[in-house]
Amino acid sequence: MDVLFAKYLFRRILSAVLLIVLVITINFFIIHLAPGDPATIMTGLENPSPQIIEALKRKYGLDKPLVVQYLKYMTNLLRGDLGFSYVYDQPSWKLIGPRVFPTLSITVTASVLAFSLGTYLAVLASRLRKKFGDLIFSLISYVLYAMPSFWLGLILILVFASKLRWFPTSGMFDMRASYEGLRKVLDYLHHLFLPVFTLLLIQLPVFYRVTRASIVQNLREDYVTVLSAVGLPNDKLFKKYVMKNSIIPAVTIFGITLGFSITGAALIEIVFAWPGMGRLLLDAVFRKDYQLLLSIYFLMAVFISVAMIVTDIVIAVLDPRVRLL
Amino acid sequence: MRKFLVVAFLLMTAVLFFAQTPKKGGTLVIAHWSDPISFNPCAKIDDAGNGIYPSIFSKLVALDHDYNVIPDLAESWEVSPDGLTYTFHLRKGVKWHDGQPFTAADVVWTFTQIKNHPEAPASKHFEKVTAIEAPDDHTVIIKMSEPQAPFIGFLAWYGTFIMPKHIYDVTKDGQPVDWLDNPANQKPIGTGPFKFVEWVKGDHVTLVKNPDYYMGEPYLDKIVFKIIPDQNTAFQAFMAGEVDVNNNVSNAHIPLYQKSPDTVALQRPAPSRYYMGFNVARRPSPFNNVKVRFAASYALNRQEIFDKAIKYGSVSDGFYTPAIPWAYNPNTKAPGYDPKLAEKLLDEAGYPRGKDGYRFEAVLVYFQGQVWADMAAVIKEQLDKVGIKVKLEEYEIAAYIEKVLKAGDFDLTVLNGFQGPDPDNLKLRVGTGGDINVMGYSNPKVDELLSKGATISDVKERQKYYFEVQEILAQDLPFYPIGEVAVNFVHKKYVKNMPYQLVGKVSINNFAKTWLDK
Repeated sequence: MDVLFAKYLFRRILSAVLLIVLVITINFFIIHLAPGDPATIMTGLENPSPQIIEALKRKYGLDKPLVVQYLKYMTNLLRGDLGFSYVYDQPSWKLIGPRVFPTLSITVTASVLAFSLGTYLAVLASRLRKKFGDLIFSLISYVLYAMPSFWLGLILILVFASKLRWFPTSGMFDMRASYEGLRKVLDYLHHLFLPVFTLLLIQLPVFYRVTRASIVQNLREDYVTVLSAVGLPNDKLFKKYVMKNSIIPAVTIFGITLGFSITGAALIEIVFAWPGMGRLLLDAVFRKDYQLLLSIYFLMAVFISVAMIVTDIVIAVLDPRVRLL
Repeated sequence: MRKFLVVAFLLMTAVLFFAQTPKKGGTLVIAHWSDPISFNPCAKIDDAGNGIYPSIFSKLVALDHDYNVIPDLAESWEVSPDGLTYTFHLRKGVKWHDGQPFTAADVVWTFTQIKNHPEAPASKHFEKVTAIEAPDDHTVIIKMSEPQAPFIGFLAWYGTFIMPKHIYDVTKDGQPVDWLDNPANQKPIGTGPFKFVEWVKGDHVTLVKNPDYYMGEPYLDKIVFKIIPDQNTAFQAFMAGEVDVNNNVSNAHIPLYQKSPDTVALQRPAPSRYYMGFNVARRPSPFNNVKVRFAASYALNRQEIFDKAIKYGSVSDGFYTPAIPWAYNPNTKAPGYDPKLAEKLLDEAGYPRGKDGYRFEAVLVYFQGQVWADMAAVIKEQLDKVGIKVKLEEYEIAAYIEKVLKAGDFDLTVLNGFQGPDPDNLKLRVGTGGDINVMGYSNPKVDELLSKGATISDVKERQKYYFEVQEILAQDLPFYPIGEVAVNFVHKKYVKNMPYQLVGKVSINNFAKTWLDK
């Protein structure tokens, strides 16, 4: 088993690496196909001097043929160099590094809460099936699911920050105070609440509805009828079999969500002026900061690949019917 | 009665006294729309950075909020009668934030770097500079190969902050370190009113006061630039009192700011203007014909375009910005609204109405943004009435640059932009081959006048040339002027002596004299 498992893991990792190379290659050429280049965008429209544009292109090697640029980028990547931001004149990792913690503190917190709460509520609602509560839950979940995140964020700012003054509107820290130690941590959490709450409200319906549908489907399965017929108490049947089976789709989605968590939630970060990866990514797209963009894509591909491998293993543990090998 | 008057007088004096004595201390929090690219203030075009740099760095000469040149690190300067030699006399006793003395060597080093870096925004203004010398620690002499009248204006404008030679003039492995690779770009040392403390990218930049500042110790203890990219959030943060000044104002919120009792919300004219460019010569278009350009101008109603799209600022029918009064010719006017004349001219130009009622189709290209979309829609509707069918094409900025600036593939386009600090800027917009002459306009007479205007230092003389340029533009009509841009200033009432309120005293975005009345 162990040898087989090691083989399995090796195969998965190998295909993940190939996938990452493919992702980077395709992205490299796609983003160069889009109109505009970083040098031209940097110079802007006020004073787009060709002299400045040419000098910038020369400085960053953007005047070389695309294939040459690609080979250089890939060689650097193999040496562990993620890339260099043309806009900020900094190695990509220096720009990405400080964003990791603020990003994950929003996305992972929200995903974990959404997963646990969403599945819990779904289980709760299914026990109330065909009752009033179930209808209410479903209705709310549809409304939330349809809501644009930036709009929801703004409404929450309006209500909880501007009117009630329970939370700050935006940012990570109170700019008028310079807290240290525990007080600083609390200030951070205070600022973290609204963006996490927004993302939670956006993600919750996904987990809720998937689990809910899965429970309903499972309840119709033959094994439930059979176990019910042999006299297994409903409660035990539900907790021991139905729940375990029904939660699997939610686990898969949770894995994917965690994989994407590194890229942040751009719209929510913009609304809450939160210095996350999403804003950096969006900014890099607009400014055509090619290598910074590729670095974030690279990180994203790695994160997702790892998350998918872990998810598959977790599901195999949860559901003995699934065979990894 | 007399007693009452005396008491009243004393009271008033007291009120005036207390109202005008600045209070020390406090933190000013400014909502800023974006991070700077870096804290190298001369290396790249960086509008967000330029909101912050003047608090940290100084220039030889600077611009105030009325776009006048004022002394900064240079106390005074002279230009030789032939216009070829500039002598700057520097302030004495100025120190860098790390305690090192500021000298003429810093100026020489900075200007040499700018000249040697073609990608630096101010580089092209140094093309005619042949020598930058420091005869002593407090004098800088700049020599030119030919006279360049706008030089002082450009020196006061963009990418000309003086940088510390002792920090930047370093070598690594025997090679000089490029100024873009210097770690000080993340942790700047300047001579300005505030010292750099920290930059949490995407979140904030913190500065503390420099007690040794040469124009006196600043009143504020601290300035925080809080990065808020969304204008709705910036509005909420301002209203909730989390920020004192808002640099990220949406025009849509102006009525709300104006209604708020503790807020100052002002628009001031900027030397930037909205106009519609015709494709004069970059590809075949009906607008290659000047008669059609006039016809389209008579068909348009700029007041309506302004009211429906621009809303703030002012309507303008001249050919240069009135924000630079000496260079603005008030007597040249673009055509006003006269649709009948428009129809007549179009008939004469050989574009009769077809069976569908249209004379020809034209493509109006603009870039993303509410004001542009609104402007384009109003123009389309107005031109439609005289039988010009307008097709609208919207692009994001990168695609717009490719399509309009590089390829010239359009009939009409709307744009705006800074036209200062000197009318020499017209070279870029209407000079043959100008960097942002999207129209493809070329008139040898205009070119001649523009280059003459740039070589004479007497303002009265220069004015003649620029007035004549505007007269020619009114005849050739390469663009249709629409309105002047207004800059928004939104801050709490307790923020006193904002830089824009101290015209002639401090430069744009220099908070050295700003204080909090609370």
